[in-house]
Amino acid sequence: MGIEEENQKIEKSIRDIARDLLKNKEVDVIIGYTEGTVPLSTSPIIIRDEKDVDKLVWNNFCYINLAKYLAPRMPQLVDPEKGELKVGIVTKGCVGRALIQLAIEKQINLDNVKIIGIPCNGIVNRRRIEKEIGEKEILEVSVSEDNIIVKGKNFEESFPFSEYINELCKQCKIKSPPKVDSCVGECGEYESVFDEFNDVKEFESKTPDEKWEYINDLLSTCTRCYACREACPMCYCNLCFVDQNKPIWFGKTTDQTEILMFHLIRAMHMAGRCVACGACSSVCPVGIDLNLITRKLEQMVKERYNFTSGIDIDKFPPMMDFEMEDEQEFMLEED
Amino acid sequence: MEQKILLKKDIGKLYNELSKEFKFYAPINEKGYITFRKIENPDNIVLDYLNSKIPPKDVLFPEKDILFEYRYEGKEVIIEEPKNLDEKKIIFGIRPCDAYSFELFANFFSFHGNCKDEIYLTKKENTVLIGIGCNSPRQTCFCTSVGGHPFKKENVDIFLVDLGNKYLVESISERGEAIVKSLSWLGKANDEDKQKAEELSKKAEEMITTQIDPDKIDKILDENFQHPIWSEISESCISCGTCAYLCPTCTCFDVIDENDAYHNRGRRIRIWDTCQSCLYTMETSGHNPRGSKIERCRNRIMHKFSYYPKNYDLTGCVGCGRCVLYCPANNDLRYILKEIEQIES
Repeated sequence: MGIEEENQKIEKSIRDIARDLLKNKEVDVIIGYTEGTVPLSTSPIIIRDEKDVDKLVWNNFCYINLAKYLAPRMPQLVDPEKGELKVGIVTKGCVGRALIQLAIEKQINLDNVKIIGIPCNGIVNRRRIEKEIGEKEILEVSVSEDNIIVKGKNFEESFPFSEYINELCKQCKIKSPPKVDSCVGECGEYESVFDEFNDVKEFESKTPDEKWEYINDLLSTCTRCYACREACPMCYCNLCFVDQNKPIWFGKTTDQTEILMFHLIRAMHMAGRCVACGACSSVCPVGIDLNLITRKLEQMVKERYNFTSGIDIDKFPPMMDFEMEDEQEFMLEED
Repeated sequence: MEQKILLKKDIGKLYNELSKEFKFYAPINEKGYITFRKIENPDNIVLDYLNSKIPPKDVLFPEKDILFEYRYEGKEVIIEEPKNLDEKKIIFGIRPCDAYSFELFANFFSFHGNCKDEIYLTKKENTVLIGIGCNSPRQTCFCTSVGGHPFKKENVDIFLVDLGNKYLVESISERGEAIVKSLSWLGKANDEDKQKAEELSKKAEEMITTQIDPDKIDKILDENFQHPIWSEISESCISCGTCAYLCPTCTCFDVIDENDAYHNRGRRIRIWDTCQSCLYTMETSGHNPRGSKIERCRNRIMHKFSYYPKNYDLTGCVGCGRCVLYCPANNDLRYILKEIEQIES
């Protein structure tokens, strides 16, 4: 089955499930994606009425991690009298992981969330396509057979789908959400995830100096807009460490040292929590790809604690938990 | 004024001459997107571009703008004002919408002459804009609805029109004319060139399909500060602030003090801020009049289409379409404005 056909099937099932959930009053609203107004985009949408479910779409441009709208709950999803609305949420693998991780961290109550699971077939790497098309206006993008077709005035280019999806999607082992209430097609179960972390191997082979240079160059264009943080489903702090001003912990300028401090400390907070959705990279206005940093942390957590975030609701992430036999090589022995 | 011809192959020559007197900024391709940078090697200049992803506002209004530095000498405090504000700059290749945004910026930073920000205004006074007409506006552009035009010349000192392998050069201001005169090697333009430029201007105007009515919107906004539409349009917003960071007219900033007690010195810095941030307008008490994204999204629209027009009699948006094209949640400003237009009074 081609990707286009697969998408249409998923889309139809999403609409059917959404319609039923709304009709049976199992949920108050559905959060999903709707057709975008510019090429290579979709827009998150809240559906309240079953007659609107045909606005829901599924394609390979569904970038936003919808779990973001639940932690903290956006005001549109809270009724002044009833409290939290019951939400049905169109859930690809990484959204599902975020929901579980947020439930573990007591940020959302899954009783009020119906997970409509979908087996995600990968999200198109918008940056890479835009970069390779260069200064020509993209007017239409579609996925047909196994290619991404990009059209504009006087040009048409084709990119192989499997090559031009996000790097994270290429490595993704959890394509459908680990916990579902209804599932479109087949949703897998994940007890243990095997991941070779091929994408960080090249980085690992670098010398410390080369790594330092790479990270510095990667982050040099950061404007400190914090779009990465705002798009991240796991960044839900009321007040981010970098925004605190009583006392001021970190500088707020775009001096290189301050940029590095922000990103590296944020990365630390992601260890064992990042759900590898790539939202941070896809929203960055200057196209910084933070995924290598978060993937490296994911790998370390996997190797040390055999932990994968967002798959087991009963298992605390390593940074929130301890066991007596944990290694403590950083503790200095008394002479 | 007499029009001249600049061959594209002579851009290097132009740079070599003008960079003696001016710091020369122009569009380059940085990591896959177009942005304005100070040019060291003219080969890096990219002129075949639709519009830069990053607007050139940061040339005069950088993400980090040091307002002053201070140091203690004994009990005395020595204040050091920023240096080189009057350094001469050229921004080459700026699009008419972005050039117009510099005027909107200057309005904000002078407030009818009542409250002048000398740091910005001095920099602006010493900056020469060499604009290039926009031969192919994007589908997301709507400059003609908000006081602009793909070939608007008024906001630049020298205006160029891309005629393929050459530019038609027209000096607009006095200092622009002086520069054009100093480049004695520029060719002469013939009637055919001028006619072609006219045609390109007309063609570009026709390419802009989005039409909005800012006057109507301003009136509707006046009466609809409380309206369900604000909740609707902010639903998909993730508060990332990409719209503001890529906006050529967003002026909001935060002021911070960095005190280096160890070295007995410090600095006061202006950094970019955005109304989409949860700290924007947060009061010391902890109360925030724009407490959720509903109020913050409203503020963005109100500021550009209601408050700015009231203060300066101009729309606070130049219709460049960057926020439309790059919003990760595809919260399309064109559609937001269309919906506002349909609110019945």
